[in-house]
This record gives sequence, C-alpha cells and structure tokens, in this order.
Amino acid sequence: MHIQIDQIAKTFGTTSALHPVSLSIPQGALVALLGPSGSGKTTLLRIIGGLEYPTAGRVLFDGQDATNMSVQDRRAGFVFQSYALFRHMTVFDNIAYGLRARPRASRPAPAQIAQQVTRLLDLIQLPDIGSRFPTQLSGGQRQRVALARALAIQPRMLLLDEPFGALDAKVRKELRQGLRDIHDETGLTSIFVTHDQDEAMELADMVVVMSMGRIEQIGTPAQIRQTPATSFVRDFTAA
Amino acid sequence: MTRRIWIARSPMPGRGLSAGITLSMLSAVVLLPIGALIWQGAQFGPSGLWDVINRPRVWAALWLSFRLAFLAAAFNLVFGTLLAWVLVRYRFAGRRLVDAAVDLPFALPTAVAGIALTTLYAPNGRLGGLAAQIGWKIAYTQWGIFLALVFVGLPFVTRTVQPVIEEIDTEVEEASATLGASRIHTIRRVILPMLTPAALTGFALSMARGVGEYGSVIFIAGNIPLKTEIAPLLIVIQLEEYNYDAAGAIGLAMLAISFVTLLAINLVQIWSRRRIGHV
Amino acid sequence: MSDAVFIPRFRRASDDSPLMRLVLIAVALGGLALLVVMPLVVVIGQALAQGWGAAIASLASHDAWSAIRLTLLITAIAVPLNAAFGIAAAWFITKFDFRGKAFLITLIDLPFSVSPVVAGLCIVLLFGANSTLGGILIAHGHPVVFAVPGIVLATVFVTFPFVARELIPVMIEQGRAEEEAALTLGASGWRVFASVTLPNIRWALLYGTLLCTARAMGEFGTVAVVSGKIRGQTATMPITIEMLYNEYLSVAAFSMAGLLTCLALITLTLKTGLELRHADALAATRRH
Repeated sequence: MHIQIDQIAKTFGTTSALHPVSLSIPQGALVALLGPSGSGKTTLLRIIGGLEYPTAGRVLFDGQDATNMSVQDRRAGFVFQSYALFRHMTVFDNIAYGLRARPRASRPAPAQIAQQVTRLLDLIQLPDIGSRFPTQLSGGQRQRVALARALAIQPRMLLLDEPFGALDAKVRKELRQGLRDIHDETGLTSIFVTHDQDEAMELADMVVVMSMGRIEQIGTPAQIRQTPATSFVRDFTAA
Repeated sequence: MTRRIWIARSPMPGRGLSAGITLSMLSAVVLLPIGALIWQGAQFGPSGLWDVINRPRVWAALWLSFRLAFLAAAFNLVFGTLLAWVLVRYRFAGRRLVDAAVDLPFALPTAVAGIALTTLYAPNGRLGGLAAQIGWKIAYTQWGIFLALVFVGLPFVTRTVQPVIEEIDTEVEEASATLGASRIHTIRRVILPMLTPAALTGFALSMARGVGEYGSVIFIAGNIPLKTEIAPLLIVIQLEEYNYDAAGAIGLAMLAISFVTLLAINLVQIWSRRRIGHV
Repeated sequence: MSDAVFIPRFRRASDDSPLMRLVLIAVALGGLALLVVMPLVVVIGQALAQGWGAAIASLASHDAWSAIRLTLLITAIAVPLNAAFGIAAAWFITKFDFRGKAFLITLIDLPFSVSPVVAGLCIVLLFGANSTLGGILIAHGHPVVFAVPGIVLATVFVTFPFVARELIPVMIEQGRAEEEAALTLGASGWRVFASVTLPNIRWALLYGTLLCTARAMGEFGTVAVVSGKIRGQTATMPITIEMLYNEYLSVAAFSMAGLLTCLALITLTLKTGLELRHADALAATRRH
C-alpha cells in the first residue's frame, strides 16, 4: 500500500507534537522513523494506524483519504512498544484474536483459524508455544508473537513502535533480520519507529529523521549518512 | 486554529456512551439532590440560615457532633497507627484474622453496630455493668457516642497507614541504629514522621465519617437535647415535624463541615506529596 | 531450656524489643476485642437468648419477611446500577483525555463525605411532597419519597463511588495498549470491552461490587430519612431492626441483626480471599 502523509499536525493541549509534516511512502517499502524521544515519531505512527487523530492534515492510503477511517477498518498490523499481548489469553488465542473478531460473514471456520495460527507460529519459528501465556515467554518471543498477531489479520501495512526497544542487544540483532525476512516475504509496506540510528540504517530502505515534531530529512541510509541535510541529522547519525 | 475541545477525539470506542452514563447518573443521583439542598439554603438567605443555627439546641448538637468526631478520630489516630504497626511488623497467631477483623466496622451495618454496642455498654450490659461498678456510665452519655464513633472510624487510619509501613525501607531504620540512635528514638524521629501524612489523611477520613454518623450513634447516645443529641438526629427530628427549612439549614451547616474536611484531606495530601514525594 | 531466656538473642536493628512487642500486641488485641469481637458475640448471644426456635420464628414473621424481601429488592436494583455506573465512569475517566478529570473524580467521591442523614435530606428536598418535582410525580402516582424509588435512590447515593473508585486505579495501571491492540486487530467496541477489558478488571469489579452490596444491604441513616418507615412496605432490614429494638423485642431485633452480621462476615471472608489470591488484580492500595 502506498501511504501519503499530507500536512499532518498534532497538538496536545498547548504543546505541538507534530508541526505540519508531509511524507510519501511507496508500496512495499521498509521505512524507519528515526529520532530522539519527543520527536513526534510515535505520534506520527499512531496517526497512520488510526490510534490518534491529527489536529490537521490528511492521511491517504493508495490515494484515498483515510483520515477519518476507523482504526478497525484500516487493517494496519500494529506492533506495540511493550507488545500489548492479552495477558489472560494463550499465545494461540492472542494470534487468533483478529480472525475471531471479524463479522460472522467473513469469519473463518475454527479449523481454518487453527491452520492460520499454526502457519504464523511456524513463520515466527516458535511452533510449540501456542498453549503458553504471555508471561511465560521471553522478551524476544513476545515480540515475535506480537508480530504474528498483527500479521494474522492479513494487514494492509505493518506499523511497529520501537519493536526492539525492550530487548537486550543480542536478541535485538537476531530479530532485526527476522523482521527484514518477514517484510521481504510478505511485501507489506512497513514503518517502524526507532531511536537507534544503527537499527534504522541497517534495516530500512528509507529513513525519515525527525526532531521536535518536524521531519529533518528523508532519504536512503546512504544519503542520510553521506549528505546530512541539517546539523541535527549530522550530529544524530554520527552518535 | 486549535478548537477548545473538552474531550479529545480518540479512536477508543464508547466515548459518548460512557460520558453520557457517567454524567447523567452523577447529575441525577448526586448533583441534583445536593443542588436541591443548596437551592433551599439560597432561598432561605444567610440571615434565615443564621436564625436557625444560632439556637442553643442546634449549636449544642453541631458542636457535639464536631467535638466527639474530633476526639474519636484522635483516638483512632493513635490506636489505628498502633494497630497498623502491629499488623505489618509483628508475626503472631491469628494475625490474618485480626487483619480481616479491622474491616468489620466497614462491613457491619451501622444499626447492627449501634444496638450491639448499646447492649454491651449499657449499665445492665456485660461491659457496661463492669464500668458501672466504678461509677463510669458509658451508654446514654457522651462516652457512648465517643465509643460508637471510634468503632465506625476505626479502619480508616489503619488502612491508610498500613501500606506506608509496608513500604518503609528497613535500611532507614538500620541507618538510624548505626548512627547510635536507640529504638525509641528511631521510632519517634524516623518512623513516625514518615507515617504522619497517611495517618492525618486517615484521621480526616475518620472525622468526616464521625461528624455525619447516625445509625451507630442514635441507639447509644441517649439523645437528650443539649447533652447527647447529635446534629444528624436533629435533622431527622426537624424532618419528622415537617420543618424542612430548619432541617435544610442544619443540613447545609453539616455539608459545609464535610467540604471543609474534604478540603483538609486534599491539603494534607498536597503537603505530604511535596514533602515526602508520595501520599 | 530455661537458660535460653538469659542468652541475649541477636536482634535486628528494625526489630522492636520483646516487651514492646508484647505490650503493643496486647493493646491491639484488647482494643479490637472490646470494640469488634464483643459486639459480635452480643449480637449472636441476644439473638439466641431464647433458643434457635424463637430466633427463626421471629425471622419468619410477616413483617420480618417483607423487610428481607425489600432489602433484597433494593440491593438487586441498586448494585447493578452502580456496577454499570462504575464501569462507565472508569472507562470514561481512564480511556479518554479531557479537562476537569480530577474534579469529576472528586464529585464521584462526594457521597462518601456527605452524612447519610444529609443525603436523605437532599432527596427529600428534591422529591418530597413540598417540592415542585415531587409534587408533579405524586400527582402522576409516582411518589419517590416514602416509597421504594426513594430508597433505591438513597442506596445508590451512598454506594455511588464504590465500584468506580475500585476500578479507576486498576484501569489506570493497566493502560490503554491492550485495548488499542484489539482495535487494530479489527475488534468492535463491545468486543474490546468484553474480551480484553472485562477479563482484566474482573476481580476488581467483583471486589467493588461486594463492598457495594454490603453497604447497600446495611444502609440505615439515608433510608431512615427517605423511607418513612412504613412497616411491611418501606421498612428495610436495618429499619426493622431499629423498630423492633425500640419496641424492646430484643430477640427479633437481634435475630435480624444476626442475619445481617452473617452477611457482613461472609463479605469480609470473600473480601479477604480476594485480597489474598488476587492482590495484583485489585487497586494497589486497600484504602476505602
């Protein structure tokens, strides 16, 4: 899906989280929103996902205005920062949740749901954990379950909020490749938020550097590294 | 450009429904009735209110309710803190049971507490009889009111202080001991000051409850005008005589006392947050 | 064995001296015995003063039975109303951002700081025969004061904050992320509530409802003012206790008191059980 951000602004009370920003994300890209905390990157991601409404501006999916589209109708696979797995459900029920939440007419039969969940558990390479509860999983496993749960609804895009933020360095490296693989396999337009410039540069096709609610630069990792547009970008990516 | 919105737009469902239920029930159940009392007072005017309140019997009742609620809350401040300390720090048989028993005044209907305390502490009751032998009359005197108010206010201080004691880092006490302080000194200078804000909050809650308490008190009080007649009873008496104006005036005076107590609780909490960093 | 007494045992810096422990425990237990345990013993003793037969016969009388039925009816109406209100208020307060939130919470807590008698007075002033609203309702055959609706209103008033103030801290602590996740997965509003929120708050909801029920069955002051105390019609169990006690019908009064005491003890047991087993799912503090 081609995602366009057209002059999106967001204020909370009197503070401005996003000054009008515009951005075009081509179909199938893997994009990093990179910036320090408070730069507005998570707010932008939540606006795309429909979890936050912009104060002004439009969001377009494949050229169609989706600004007022409900979060349910957007079908954005969203991976939350601390994963937001349902604590009282098994891994299986977590992944099946979106399929079971569909209206009766389009809801798959239980056998099909089971088949889909099994396929997703294989995809995240954790075939045997279906009956466990989220508290019984390691951080890396939780992240992958959250990813599988988001993929189960056959999303039109993948949105990830600091997907590696809560993990230690070793697991982080492994899962980076995992995300890249899943992106390449599904071909989904994917946006992830990060404050780690290594992560952005290594993983993304396109990096959007943000600061103080503004976009500082948009470009490939190489462009950002070689020709930083502002002194902020130079300092931030040099760190 | 920025509209002044009261409720920020959100994709969370049920905004209108939950706001509607909350605000309409709050209005219908709480705000309208209290508004009716204030409206009644407003029509009556300040001088009219003063005429009702400025009568010896009314003054005596208000002063009695206020004074005994204060004294009972003060007793609970000490006893409740002691109880909290014993329950958190000491291990003894039946501690769980005792802990649960502290909540009984919350769970037991006030009328039941009232008749039970009266029967127990009346001159012909088991404990009242013992007290009578030394010439101490409890039921049907101000002592009885005090006792009933101690009963209903008992859990407040204990339940506000208990979590604070649980959170005290024993290193603080150890630090005090390494500095050469005796145990008594540590308790007085280190522990009690840490408990003060919570204990005062519990005191104010206990007092607010005591000022308005009716059910547990009327049986044991004796209800003699000017001596053991509490303010809520005076309202009931005025209502039974269809004297709505007088009832309203006394009710407003009590509402004012409630608001002042509520304000005091909030001030204590603001003060403690500033001083200690938590409530 | 006796030697051990004289060996000074190591005492940690945060431990009190044995004498102090002994004195404090004795004071605590003694105080509770005089204030809490003895009254309970009195209730049971007085109820059974003439044996079980007399106690049960007094509860089976027509007036006693109608009081029990009325109290159950009032509770069955008031508690679900307050549970619904508590859920709605907690949802509204914790899932949305708006101005005046702290003020709204204060207003919800207000009934806790208003005297029961004053609460009853407020209802009488609003719906009594002398008021405009009450006059209209009575003219249409729907009296509120001295009738069941007034008792329901009084009960809802005094128990108003119970469920809401138990749920709000729990829902603040749990945050909004799980609900948001369910929304992104396509769940409808009701489904989000039923499949994600409700399982997370169920123990807190049960806890709040339990306290609400205990108070609803036992409320005296407010009901005394609004009910008119009509025997067989608007006399709830606590009101009946008062009437019987004032008529020196000790066994009957204490039998009904015993029934309410049993309910209070059951409430305490369930409450303690919930606190022990589901402490993590309840509001962090056990304050009231």
